[in-house]
Amino acid sequence: MNEPFPLLSLCLIWPLLGALPLAFIENPLRAKRWALSVAGLELVFCLLVLCIFDPGYGGFQMREDYPWIAGLNVHYQLGVDGISVLFLPMTAWVTVAALLAGWNSIRQLSRFHLALLLTLESITIGVFTALDLTLFFLFWELTLPPLFFLIGLWGAGAERRYAAMKYTLYMLFGGVPLLFGIILLALNHAQLTGGASPGELCFSLPVLLQTPLARDAQNLIFFLLLVGFAVKAPLAPFHTWLPTTAMEAPAQITAQLTALKLGVYGIVRFAIPLAPAAAVEHRWLLAILGSITLVYAGLIALQQTNLRRLLAYSSISHVGLVLVGIATFTPQGLQGAMMQLLNFTVVAGSLMLIAGMIQQRLGSTELIDLGGLAKPMPRLTVLFFVFALSSIGVPLTNGFPAELLMLLGILQSFPALALVALFVAVLGAAYVTGFARRGLFGPTRHTGAAAPQDLRARELCILAIPALLVLWLGVYPQWLLSRQESALTLWLQRLHHPTTWVADALVSDRIREGYNINR
Amino acid sequence: MMDAGWIILLPALPMLAAALIGGLHFFGLIAGEADEAHSARISLTGMTLSALLACGALAADSFGWLADSQFYGHWLGSGRVGIAFSLRGTGFNLRVAALFALLLLLTMRFSVNYLHREAGFHRFFFILNLFAAAMLLLVLSGNALFSFAGWEAAGVCSYWLIAYAYDRPVAAHNAVRVFVSNRIGDAGFLLGTALALLWLENCDWQTINRGAADLDRGDATLLALCFALAAFAKSAQIPFTPWLARALEGPTPSSAIFYGGVMTHAGVFLLIQLQPLFNQTPTAMQLLVLVGGLTTVYSYWVGLSQTDIKSSQIYAASAQLGLMFLECGLGFWNLAGWHLCAHAVVRCYLLLTAPSILHATHGHPIRPVSPRWANCRWAFMASLQRGWLEPALDWMLVKPVQQLARDMRNIDDRIVDPALGAPAPAIKAISSLAQWEESKMGAKLDNDEDSFARGSGLAGKLAQWTASLLSWFEYRFILRGIGRDSINWGRRLGRRANRFEQLLLSPRYLILFVLITLMVALGYGA
Repeated sequence: MNEPFPLLSLCLIWPLLGALPLAFIENPLRAKRWALSVAGLELVFCLLVLCIFDPGYGGFQMREDYPWIAGLNVHYQLGVDGISVLFLPMTAWVTVAALLAGWNSIRQLSRFHLALLLTLESITIGVFTALDLTLFFLFWELTLPPLFFLIGLWGAGAERRYAAMKYTLYMLFGGVPLLFGIILLALNHAQLTGGASPGELCFSLPVLLQTPLARDAQNLIFFLLLVGFAVKAPLAPFHTWLPTTAMEAPAQITAQLTALKLGVYGIVRFAIPLAPAAAVEHRWLLAILGSITLVYAGLIALQQTNLRRLLAYSSISHVGLVLVGIATFTPQGLQGAMMQLLNFTVVAGSLMLIAGMIQQRLGSTELIDLGGLAKPMPRLTVLFFVFALSSIGVPLTNGFPAELLMLLGILQSFPALALVALFVAVLGAAYVTGFARRGLFGPTRHTGAAAPQDLRARELCILAIPALLVLWLGVYPQWLLSRQESALTLWLQRLHHPTTWVADALVSDRIREGYNINR
Repeated sequence: MMDAGWIILLPALPMLAAALIGGLHFFGLIAGEADEAHSARISLTGMTLSALLACGALAADSFGWLADSQFYGHWLGSGRVGIAFSLRGTGFNLRVAALFALLLLLTMRFSVNYLHREAGFHRFFFILNLFAAAMLLLVLSGNALFSFAGWEAAGVCSYWLIAYAYDRPVAAHNAVRVFVSNRIGDAGFLLGTALALLWLENCDWQTINRGAADLDRGDATLLALCFALAAFAKSAQIPFTPWLARALEGPTPSSAIFYGGVMTHAGVFLLIQLQPLFNQTPTAMQLLVLVGGLTTVYSYWVGLSQTDIKSSQIYAASAQLGLMFLECGLGFWNLAGWHLCAHAVVRCYLLLTAPSILHATHGHPIRPVSPRWANCRWAFMASLQRGWLEPALDWMLVKPVQQLARDMRNIDDRIVDPALGAPAPAIKAISSLAQWEESKMGAKLDNDEDSFARGSGLAGKLAQWTASLLSWFEYRFILRGIGRDSINWGRRLGRRANRFEQLLLSPRYLILFVLITLMVALGYGA
């Protein structure tokens, strides 16, 4: 069952191991170089995972399974499938970009900063690879301490500590229902296999996916998990932490938060498949929740005068659309939603980094302080447009195939909501070009010595690679889609035929084994 | 019949030229006046080759040597929906493509001199090449999706060229207006494409036209209306006409080619492309007649009072476009096709020569409106105010959306954020004193005002009230109940507790709390 070489464990542990020597590297420059090489190597490992990954097989691959807490039947269980595998290189890339973006701006406690970034990378990889619910929850909550410090200590705004506390409180609030949901699932499994002694609990995702669940329990678990993940996603009305964080946190950290949509990943990975009947029954609720977020945040974005708040609201609005796409439960809607989730890492993250670069040069991203930036910073403007056009779904960028597929899905399941989605697409064009009009165009306000410098080589590098990815995936989206296709097909099969025991050989072996032991 | 795979070169050559100029300019390899020749040579070579190929293809097509459709590969497949990349290099598509290629070549040659020593020379040629590629893709594409790609890319190019002199606020503002108006039409196009993909499992133009007969009457009407909306927006028909007048901010050659010669004709081209679909649906045809007729009258009327040469030209153009819509609506498809080609040539020429005409007629007064109309005050007023069309649209669409957006923002700031327990502190009031801000920032967590115990927001208030109730209870019944001495002890204990609490509220202990929560969570299972 276990892979001969634990590549996923290596991906998981490597940044953490790499963070340890930072305690002994006193020279800040050498420490930065060391951290960068650790993150770069991690990116190579994650790309290796992607190469080895077999896109034809829909179940979990590269699984590693070792008993961890024997008394509770908690396992150290890792694995990836088509849904999660692409997030690994994206996480690694976002960390590399964050390191490079903060190369010069982080002056104080820089080694601690580097160590926290690498630790956060490890934990995030853990969130994406954990197949045991306890392990997942552990990683899920462990993302908070590094983020708390990263926001609170190196934040850009005056209210950074408040923002850090707000973020932590929101996330802790979301964690509680999540934990209850997970425990209920484990108890249910124990009940089905006879008795409720701790040894018969089960937290393994592949096993729980096959465990039948009573209807009312499904409803309860679905809502518990949904609330837990909605806070992180974020969905309205739990979204207000994101604009605050965007204003106060360092740009590279906000980029990471907006780029990696852990909350939506949790909904796709856990909330819906673990309570399939409830999810199908309440698909309207999901769709309405999503479309309210979509319109609400899109309208608010129209009124923002600060680039970072604008980006925060636009990313909330996009999350709403993704949720509607998922709630269609059609192959097209789902593929589009998953593709859009991956697009975020490239597009939303890079836009936030651009905001950070402007902030670093002018000390503000408020429209009143900007204006005419296109003249001194033409390259930044060009790259801004590449990402902005992708975020409003212009063809030949990666945003377009994703939006088209989601639109196809929405038209099949909720035709009326398609109009809402198209309305917000027009709004999106309005707020993005509205910012470009006042921030990038217009009379130049900074001339002579005050003129901001255009992108440096380091900054160009962290924006050009995503820009190429934007264009490449826009021209050839099939590469991405075919990586996910079989996993999503299996996902939909489970959803529409929850009682069928899907031919996932490993899983059925495991559960048969489990039953024998239990009896 | 010969294999005509090379037809892809028509859009691909300008695309390559655009990529080359864009890449070189981005990395600063060509810049300034000295390198103008490079940009010009790259553009003209690409466009000349493309135009020559188009003329060659036209000749070959007239002998019937070309296959109707060229298939290049699958672009995207999802479930039963499949989208291919194919081109359709025969007949009307090819004729329009050849015409557009020639017009683009002429305009490009004209621009080399016209834009000499302009600041954005290379940028202009990058956008113009991209636009050429987009338009040729639009007219040659075999399916709706890649036509849409060209359609939207042309819209983006138009946005960039209107904002060509981006340091002028008016230009930047108009660019946004035009782009957003066009996006409404794009939404229609996208919806039409998506519906075709769902109902017919394919979005080839031929499939849509052939499938139109099998579709329900209502479905076919809906499909036709979606594409009609797109055509109205792109060809500046009522109610989208005002964007056309705003679009003239770019350099003259770009106005000539975008709004005179090529881009605004895309709408009519789309209708002619979908001729069988529209023939199926009387409702859509009637709408075409109505909108086309109204636009013609409106544009003629407004055009009467225009005193600036570009504006009067552009209103004449939209009047002619309105006539084309009218012809389409009445079923004179061939006439509309000829009208399109003829008008593209004439209008492009007229707009290109507009500066020279101005130069030649300098000093001659403009011919006044005939006295019969001039006496009709209200008609003159309506013409001068451009029929109040734009303010009306603002009042009906833009203002309500903005008002809604403002309300939503207020709700978010004043209700949602406070209700969930942690509202933003009022930082606005103190921004004048940076030092004080610093000290406040440093003292934030030692300060009672912001501590958890005081409670903020709904959740916080609830917690605070419960806490004060309990503390009252504690004080009243427990502390009072047990003599004075214990009260003293209690006070001392309370002070210690206070200090302890303050410690707890500092971030490091908060983290400790998080960790303890985790451990408890894990311990709960055990």
